[in-house]
Amino acid sequence: MAAAPGYIVLGALLFSLGVIGFLSRRNLIVIFLSTEMMFQGVVINVVTYSRLHGQVDGQAFGLFLLVIAAVEAGLALGLLVLLHRRRGTLDAEAWTTMRG
Amino acid sequence: MSILAGLGVYFLLPQGRLSRPRVGFLFAAAALLAWMAVAGLRLSSAEPSKVYFLIFSSIALAAGVCVITHRKPVYSALYFVVVVLAVAALLVLQHAEFLAIALIIIYAGAIMVTYLFVIMLAQQSGVPLYDRRAREPFFAVLLGFVFMATVVVRTGDDSGINASVGPKIASLVQHPVESTTPSTHAAIAHDGNTAAMGAVLATKYVVVLEIGALLLLISMVGAIALSRKRLPREGHAVSSAPLGQVGKTVEPF
Repeated sequence: MAAAPGYIVLGALLFSLGVIGFLSRRNLIVIFLSTEMMFQGVVINVVTYSRLHGQVDGQAFGLFLLVIAAVEAGLALGLLVLLHRRRGTLDAEAWTTMRG
Repeated sequence: MSILAGLGVYFLLPQGRLSRPRVGFLFAAAALLAWMAVAGLRLSSAEPSKVYFLIFSSIALAAGVCVITHRKPVYSALYFVVVVLAVAALLVLQHAEFLAIALIIIYAGAIMVTYLFVIMLAQQSGVPLYDRRAREPFFAVLLGFVFMATVVVRTGDDSGINASVGPKIASLVQHPVESTTPSTHAAIAHDGNTAAMGAVLATKYVVVLEIGALLLLISMVGAIALSRKRLPREGHAVSSAPLGQVGKTVEPF
């Protein structure tokens, strides 16, 4: 049980790596990969707390997280294909017309 | 340690001419060594599971840095598979075997294959400009590591993973809560993790499970509706493209 803070810190590290990637990369695919990495950090956190509480509820939440990640990936990739057909690029900066 | 890691990620991010991958690699390697040293200092009790934690957490972190810094999205996706495998190993260490296997099957199997398909559909030849130049890397790294520092200060000290743990979590870590429903503990001990999870999913969270299934259905319908080609209706003129070119170009809609 003593390694639990290590797991929590690792989850935070993976999450913040995902945040950095999400904010700084310009390729839409890598941006969505970064969100998936944030999901990984959250799953580690949830499972660690589930173990600390001696229940499996947290692991059930992890499974639902997986469902959400799959939904998000499916829809996001469909949108990506659509955007790529329109402009022929995956650059996030190509879609700044709403910036004004 | 987090300063080292931040500098490493900053220099590793693609920045055009300003990029210094070697400096970044040195900093990132130093940060990884620091992580191993800090976590390894707590290894005095020499539990085997802690050694595995050290190994797999280092793999996950190194591959995670590669995911967000690599210039080619294909390699990013492949490094992400490494992250998923390492995380799955960490879940096995925490006795979450079912979730670990589900993670490998769903992430490394299904989701990453979809990603790779889209990358191959949409990738231009060579490394385009937007992959070579990061957007505001300094502020992104600053924000990310400030966020991480906030979480870590709440959880435990940055330099000593086990030292000065936040009071609430500390009490939880020292005295893990016994299961509120005593049958859960017995079920885990008797039938294993998968049976316990099945029992929880089919009783306590059965509505959530159904909502999840509905969500998957909606997303499938949405993805198909989004990415289909718009075909001309029957009765209208057939496409005027010459034979062999039909369907090669798709008009935007």
